[in-house]
Amino acid sequence: MIKGLLFTLMLAGAVQAQEEPANVQVETPDTEISARSRVLELAGAFSNDGYKIRDGFWAGNLEPDRPKFLEVNLFSGNEYWFSGAATPPARQIGIQIYDAKGQPVKIQTYEDGPVAAAGFVPEVSGQYFVGIRLLSGEKSEFCLLYSYK
Amino acid sequence: MDRMRWIFFATLAIVGVGGAHAAETAMTAEQIGQVERVESITIPMPGEFFTAIGKLSRPDWKKFLRTGTPVATASRAQIALGLGTLVADGYVAVEAQDGQGVKNIGKEIINLAKKLNVSQSVLGRGNSLNDFAENNDWSALREELEATQNEVKLDMEIQKDGGLITLVTVGAWVRGMEIASGLVAETYTPEAARLLHQPAIMTYLLDQLAAVPEGMQKEPLILDLRAGLEKCQSEIAPETPSFENVTAVHEVMAEMVREIIINPEES
Repeated sequence: MIKGLLFTLMLAGAVQAQEEPANVQVETPDTEISARSRVLELAGAFSNDGYKIRDGFWAGNLEPDRPKFLEVNLFSGNEYWFSGAATPPARQIGIQIYDAKGQPVKIQTYEDGPVAAAGFVPEVSGQYFVGIRLLSGEKSEFCLLYSYK
Repeated sequence: MDRMRWIFFATLAIVGVGGAHAAETAMTAEQIGQVERVESITIPMPGEFFTAIGKLSRPDWKKFLRTGTPVATASRAQIALGLGTLVADGYVAVEAQDGQGVKNIGKEIINLAKKLNVSQSVLGRGNSLNDFAENNDWSALREELEATQNEVKLDMEIQKDGGLITLVTVGAWVRGMEIASGLVAETYTPEAARLLHQPAIMTYLLDQLAAVPEGMQKEPLILDLRAGLEKCQSEIAPETPSFENVTAVHEVMAEMVREIIINPEES
């Protein structure tokens, strides 16, 4: 438990330090950049374990009771982590993965307030959907990306 | 870094991980209808494909390294397609751990990008590719190849060249499928064949091709590409494509790549 708290504090500290990144595009809202910084911090931990981070990301608004879904196309045998982060006033988010028929699949989850991740190893290649939902808090910006190995 | 990594994974094990479980409710028909697509995430890169193949066998990636000069054509559509195929080739060179090959391909990507009037910012990517190749940093190269492709696409978007963005994606996917299907056909196993089952990607690419500017759609190369992708769509529809399906996909994809890289005057 102490290790968990330590990690949470380290992550919070790292995120705090990155809340105002330099050299960003003028059109991008600050809140989205903050969400991106947070999610990159989380994904960075996976990359230390050999996961490669995709260069693209998915960003937008999250509202209570209105989850959002993204199509992804995965390869059987690869290992994936989908990482997401939201900015205040979001307090807690969750990530789920569904097969092409919209049925939930078995995942590993990491949830730490406004930061969450879902780990998945598909047995079948093809289309899947990633869902992100606001579990606690008010309308806020989110950012999601994925890593694979 | 090791300490950070250890703490992170210990945390996953002790506190944060909810364990292996499935979400409780299925998506509604309305939610499936509202699913978003973001090309830079929805469409996987060839490197992701090759990673999966590398887990099932030990391919001789060097055999797939392509040499030669890029396509000599005035057609912007063909240049964009050729650029896409080079991105896939870059991943082959990375898998083959051929540093000089990566440098050569990086140089060719930049040369083609210049012909499409991309900005100076993309040129810096060529230097990064060289540096990572010099240091045999294969993991960083996989990410840098994707970043280079995305930077080219971003420039195209700024220049309102949306059609070219589609063609870069199609070029990379077609070359990636040619290599992957060739590998699967060489030593066919149902498990490997299942990697080719990507019907949603094929549908996405066909939809995107149908949306490129009208003038571009009438180019013979684009018409051939659409016909080829439509043919492959049925071949990869089964969850486990047969040996015949895989061979057919390989033949079609190889022909499309040949058309992309050949000088139109030679055809």
